[in-house]
Parts: sequence; C-alpha cells; structure tokens
Amino acid sequence: MRVNWPSIAIPALIFLSIWLMDGLVDDWGRLSGGGQNLVIFFRESLWPPDWRVLEPQAYPVCTAYPLFDFTCSTAWIGITETIKIAFISTVFGVMISLPISILASRNLNPNPITFPFRFILAACRSLPSIIWAIFFVILVGFGPLSGILAMTIYTVGYLGKLQYESIEGMSNIPLESADSMGLSGVEKAIGVVIPEQANNLISQAVFMFEYNVRHGTVIGIVGAGGIGYYINLYLKFLQYDKVVAYLIIIFVVVVVIDFISIYVRSYFNEEGDIAPPKWLSVIIPNWILEYPPIFISNRRQS
Amino acid sequence: MESEAVKIEDLTIGYSKGSPLAEIPSLRISTGEIIAITGPSGVGKTTLIRTIAALVRPLSGSVSLFGQTFGARPPRGSIGYIPQRLGLVRHASVLHNVKMGARAGNCGPYALLASTKIRDISLDAIDRMGLSDKIYEPVRRLSGGQQRRVAIARTIAQSPKIILADEFLSELDEKTLEMVKSEVVGFVRKEDATLIVVEHDVSRAKSIADRMLVIDDGRVNPFISSTMALEVP
Repeated sequence: MRVNWPSIAIPALIFLSIWLMDGLVDDWGRLSGGGQNLVIFFRESLWPPDWRVLEPQAYPVCTAYPLFDFTCSTAWIGITETIKIAFISTVFGVMISLPISILASRNLNPNPITFPFRFILAACRSLPSIIWAIFFVILVGFGPLSGILAMTIYTVGYLGKLQYESIEGMSNIPLESADSMGLSGVEKAIGVVIPEQANNLISQAVFMFEYNVRHGTVIGIVGAGGIGYYINLYLKFLQYDKVVAYLIIIFVVVVVIDFISIYVRSYFNEEGDIAPPKWLSVIIPNWILEYPPIFISNRRQS
Repeated sequence: MESEAVKIEDLTIGYSKGSPLAEIPSLRISTGEIIAITGPSGVGKTTLIRTIAALVRPLSGSVSLFGQTFGARPPRGSIGYIPQRLGLVRHASVLHNVKMGARAGNCGPYALLASTKIRDISLDAIDRMGLSDKIYEPVRRLSGGQQRRVAIARTIAQSPKIILADEFLSELDEKTLEMVKSEVVGFVRKEDATLIVVEHDVSRAKSIADRMLVIDDGRVNPFISSTMALEVP
C-alpha cells in the first residue's frame, strides 16, 4: 500500500509545534487579557496619531517654501535619511557581493575556491542588520555611517546568496561553449554569466533596496541613523501617538517602494513570462484596471 | 602539408563506467578534413565531440590534438564548439556573442578591453552569416535559424583549428543552408582547419563531409567515404 506522506507529515508537524509551544509557554491565561490590553493601549496612547511629526522643527529654522515646509520635519528628514542609507548600502552591497558570489558559484569554480567565499557570505548574513548596526555604532559612533556600514555588510551576505544561487541555476551550455573556446574565468564572468543573469541580478538588487528601506527603519533604533532614531526617541518619552504617526509614514513609504519595486522588476523578467504592470496600477488596484469603469476605459483607449 | 589534427586511441566514451556509450579503437583525423559522425539517437555522437572538446572526461583511452594530449583544456581558441543548443548568451547582443569567439581566437585572456580588431573580425563574421542588420539585437529575439547563424559566426570569428559542430545545419531553410555550408566549408578549406560534424541526416552529412564515421550499437564502423554513406543502413 502506498503511504500518503503529506497526510501524515503535515498533522505531525502541527502537533509537534503545539507540543513545543506548550513547553515554552508557562501560563496560557495571559492570552485572555491580551485583547483588552490592546484596546486600552490603542485608545489611551496610540490613537489618534500625532501628525505634528510632519511639522517643521523649531530649530534649525526652516527656510523651505511654505508649501514644502514638511521637508523640515523630523518625519521627512528621518525617512529620507533611511531611503538614502538603503540606496547607498544597496549600491555598495551589489558592487561587493557580485564578485564574491561569482567566486562562490559551484558551476564556475571548484569547491576549494567556493568554500571560503560562501563562508564569508554566510558570516555576513548570520547576524541580522540590527546587530551589525550595534556593532558599527560601537566602532564608529552614532549616525548614518554606522547604518550604511551595517546595511552594506548585511546586503553583501543576503544578496550574495541570492546571486550565487541564481548563477548556479543558469544553463550550463553557454558556460561549456566558453570553456571549449578557452575563455578565462574573468572573461566567462563578464561575457557570459553577468549578461545571461543580468535580469535576475537587477531584479534582486531592486528587491534588496526595498528590503533595506524596510530594515533601515529598524537600525535607527540603535542609533544608526534614519527614521528609527526618532521612533526610539519618542518611545523613550512614551509618546506613542507620535510613534504611530512615524509607523504610518513608514508603512506608506514601504508600500509605495514595494509597488515601484514590483513594477521595475517586472521589466527584468524573461520576455513573455509576465506582462509588465501599468504605471497606473501603482495607484489604482489591478482589478479595477482590468475591469475598468467607463471613464478609465475611455482614457486608456484614447 | 597534411598533419594529424585529432588522434584517438582505445577511447571509451560515456558518463559512467558501468554504462559506456561507445568504444573507438583508433581514429585519426587530418587537418583540413571534414568528418561527419552519424548514427541513431543516443549512441554517443554528441558525447564523442564533447570528449574531443575536453568537456567530458574519457572513461578510458586518450584523445590528442595536434600530437599533444591535453589533460584539462586544449589551448585557448584552438577549438570552436557549436553545441546542438548553441550555447549563446541569450540576453546579450549578436555582436557581444560573436566578440566572445573573436576574443578567444585573437587575443590573450588578460586583454580586458575589446580592441577595434576584435570588433572588425566580429562584424566581418556577422556579415558573412547575413546578419548585418541584427548586430545589436538580443539573441533571444532571433529565430532558431538566425541564432544558429550567430553561433556559426562566433566560431568563424574565433578562427579555430578544429570546429566541432553538433547538428549545426538544422533549422535552416534551403537557401540559408547552402549559404552557411559554403561559408563554413570555405572557411575550413581556406584556413586548413578541421571540421567534425555530428549529423543524423545522412544525405546532409554526405553533402558536406569528406569521410563519415558511423556509430552504431556502441561500435564505431571504420571510416567510409561520403559516397558510400547512403548505403549505410
């Protein structure tokens, strides 16, 4: 009789998880008051958000045009700093991780070469970016520099793994052709691997930027620059309504970057696999664009 | 002067010792010769040229090129290999692909910047394959036949001493087939290169080869002249 393994394995995994959790949790009664606590906390401390975080700071004096005076606010300064840190560390991360990932690919190099480079990438990846941020805050002090260094190291580890797995997944035939021609490793990397994998590499870099923006908000909490610095500041003063305002701003920015990232990455798919989404889909959901009301369909036809 | 381009001694080919594909007791191919390897599917035709190209290790025996047995790789640029699935960089342009061949055959590995000479050689090869209007086109956008011509242009630009081509005349229309055949054969004759072609279509093999090698049931029949090839079952 043929055993249906998934029907045994899935319930077994669920049971194992519940059993392990029961061992870890000493008092299940705590769950009962959780919802009520959340309601009280939400009503008394979180809501409504304090949007004064979008007002210009008292010092230094804001010199921007009145319509743009939000650019002097802590929210704007913080989020732009986070995006800048994410951008810089993504660019540096790609530049460093690409040669390392090529050297770490098993289809391009023998094991004695790939092993140390895989070890380097694993080491960079083994600590979360926030731990790297604490490390660099100790080394170079508070501010964006420690954030950039922390995020770059983490980007190298994370992106490097994505890259070498992608390189190892490429067709072997162009590499064999290059081998039979007698091309060197550098020529193979520049002439075959990078052009053949360019779409994946660009797509991964865009994804990494998006990831770094999300994580850039966290590293500020330990003093490594960005909007996390202000979140940490107001958490210390128990001003949770301002913290919520920052979190909403981060959420909106991450969603916008997420959409832009999906859009940009769609251009780097294999042709014909996925149609690139419309720019309009960043603002209007796809289901409306696919079944448009009359005013949208008229505009699209014109 | 005619010299020995490929010499095979007691060669057994395959991917595992337990199931060898074919045994070739002795085989000598001279420079300037065009050899067609034919036989049914799965007998080891492709494996044989991959073994000659040093992409597959022989299970036993030896392959020597120009009198030298190469353990790992033959000298840079000496072998032009056109695999059945072409081995092109699909996302790169036609020019980029052909330049790879031109670089292999005409400059050392450390000349990182492509010179004007490399570009000229590449453009000439592309022109000979009738693809001058596709120079900057990504290879993935070309038809199967056009992609095959890019692979051939890459090999011509490389100017190798030995060309190993796997079904390189398939997917071509009659007119293009004649053009490609005349260009490749012309190149081989002019440069005194050696062409080893895997071709399952016996009549097409006959039209290009000086001699034919038939692999059947793991045994290699002795060379026969191309005029006799059609009589081979």
